[in-house]
Amino acid sequence: MSSDRKIRVLVAKPGLDGHDRGARVIAYGLRDAGFEVIYTGLRQTPEQIARAAIQEDVDMIGLSVLSGAHIGLTKKVIELLREQGGGDIPLLVGGLIPEADRPALMEMGVVKIFTAGSAISEVAAFIESRVVSAVSG
Amino acid sequence: MNEAERELERVKQAEAEWCEEVVEPRLKRFQIPESPTRFYSPAEQGGFDFLGKVGFPGQYPFTAGNRPFEPWRVHAEAAAKLDMGTGRGASGAGRYSGYGTAEDYRDYLLAAQKRGNRGGPNVAFDLVTQCGYDSDDPRAVGEVGRVGVAIDSLRDFRVIYEAFTGERDIDKVASNFTINAPCGVILAMLAVLAEERGIPLAKLRGTPQNDILKEFIARGTYIYPPRASMRLFRDTMVFCRQHMTAMNINSIGGYHIREAGATRVEDLAFSLANGIAYLQEGVDAGLDVDDFATKFTFNAFGGSMEVYHEIAFQRAARRMWARIVKERFGARNPRAMMIRQAITAHIGCSSTTLQRPLNNLARSVAGGMAAGMVGGMPSVFPPFDEPLGLGHSREAIQLQVDASRIMLYETGLCDVNDPWAGSYFMESLTDQTEAAAQEELDRIEGMGGAVAAIDSGYMPRAVAKSAYERQKRIESQQDFVVGVNCFTGENELNVELDHESEGMYDSDHLGSAEDRQLAKLATLKRERSEREVARGLTTLEQHAKDTETNLMPDLIECVKSEATMQEICDVLRGVFGEAEPAKL
Repeated sequence: MSSDRKIRVLVAKPGLDGHDRGARVIAYGLRDAGFEVIYTGLRQTPEQIARAAIQEDVDMIGLSVLSGAHIGLTKKVIELLREQGGGDIPLLVGGLIPEADRPALMEMGVVKIFTAGSAISEVAAFIESRVVSAVSG
Repeated sequence: MNEAERELERVKQAEAEWCEEVVEPRLKRFQIPESPTRFYSPAEQGGFDFLGKVGFPGQYPFTAGNRPFEPWRVHAEAAAKLDMGTGRGASGAGRYSGYGTAEDYRDYLLAAQKRGNRGGPNVAFDLVTQCGYDSDDPRAVGEVGRVGVAIDSLRDFRVIYEAFTGERDIDKVASNFTINAPCGVILAMLAVLAEERGIPLAKLRGTPQNDILKEFIARGTYIYPPRASMRLFRDTMVFCRQHMTAMNINSIGGYHIREAGATRVEDLAFSLANGIAYLQEGVDAGLDVDDFATKFTFNAFGGSMEVYHEIAFQRAARRMWARIVKERFGARNPRAMMIRQAITAHIGCSSTTLQRPLNNLARSVAGGMAAGMVGGMPSVFPPFDEPLGLGHSREAIQLQVDASRIMLYETGLCDVNDPWAGSYFMESLTDQTEAAAQEELDRIEGMGGAVAAIDSGYMPRAVAKSAYERQKRIESQQDFVVGVNCFTGENELNVELDHESEGMYDSDHLGSAEDRQLAKLATLKRERSEREVARGLTTLEQHAKDTETNLMPDLIECVKSEATMQEICDVLRGVFGEAEPAKL
């Protein structure tokens, strides 16, 4: 990465779901790819996630949900971000997201959905292009 | 040199010549540095101690299996008469299920019974319940009734069991509860229900998961710190041995640990370390290992696509556990030394792919073959649509069950016990698996055992790192996954299957579950005696501070007073504190 400031990503586990394999693997992978990664740990409320994203001044948020509660949790995080002045922080969703739920998430403002089988390199490339284009555009 | 040693020398000599004269020319021809395959000869094993390392099926050290035989066809035929055979036999638990409110789940169970299901409930609780919250907690929003049934109080628990009366009463069918941190509360609910129905506690049958240590390593539904959690485990174990004597104590699992990313060796070592911690807790509480260890069960270890390794894993696991219980804990009762598990070898859900999902059927058949070859039911697990995240369709379950039947009835797979016994290759691999797991187990013991290795973050971190290593191997094509990182060209076809049957759960009804549950909880809080609730909770708090006191009687009193799950757990949070989520 060329800029002096590393791209900062918040990897967050909202809700009560304890399946954090994907979140941890992505966190390790993005870190190795040169990003600065903040991992929240399990069971974060949408309030905690929005606050952390704004305080840490992140360039991207990745939410990981495998419990089926993705719609409600994502909506809440986006609402809180907008209320608290973090509405410009783009948000990714990863995990177990049935095909039928994807349009609703995209409509809410999620920029991309990654599910099982996605490569870290793919996620990293997406974040990089998105953040760089946001800065230059 | 005796005759056996001379023979071994001759084999070693022949092997060296074979390498030079047969293997080398072929390597040259294909211009590769080493053979992609291996061949195992007697030189691998040297003198082989059959009785010490393998023994006969049903005898120590149980490498060749817990039983001399298992009538799988009888089980399969009995299951076929019921609702979509589970592969576990008529006496086994029903299919793992639970959704919405207790009323929704009760109706689901009644419908299953109409289709012929005779088993007890195998209850999936929602995450709110598993984490010891109530449905009206802010953290519960969107999660109520989502991955299982919502249980806030005895009233909800009672409603589930409206589906189990008469011939299916709680002393006649076995209940399974996938519950860990609040296990004592759920057992207390069962005890109160038994009292209401006039059924002696000693007649209650079932298995709570009650494997809290693995929640810190994987899965994540812990509440209190590890040490306090073990005290609660002890209280349930002692109470079960004294009162609910027919109940199993726990269902120990490496399954979740492996699914979270652990290697095979970590899965085995961590599971055994957890098992040792539970055994020690029982011994420290003054229980007799020959008695209480017979009430330990194993849920399942993890699985993978590497079938040879999974066969060796199961053989090594049986042998290691038997030796631990016998040699370290001094047991004499063979039943106490067995790994009692419904599921043996399998591929693990994490081997399935979202891409070209019907391929998962081929994958899970490989796991079923491995299961058959370690003396298990050749269960084909999971159904191919597992990674779609929609719940298993009846079509996928039909294919799964039929695949298992084909192995059982058409292939002769299960006609031999431990068919790999004595194989130069498999005995070597079993020894290697055992040695590697033992080394890791020794490392954990050196840290002070499972609880210490969780407290320090060692075990959860190791699992996450292994998950990352695996992902890197897939992305760099060191490991191959068909349809994911290879054979993904444009000529490949995504074979689809129409799902025609209705889902297992009523999803429209699920949408209103949270509101209905909240209304019930509000009614409960209006109707019950607050004084009774407060009295029970105060006593619980006092007793929780004294480590020597068994909290089960207090939990029973709290449940009777209609204190809620969260009210009870909050009192214990106040005394024990809360576990910190693991860092990266």
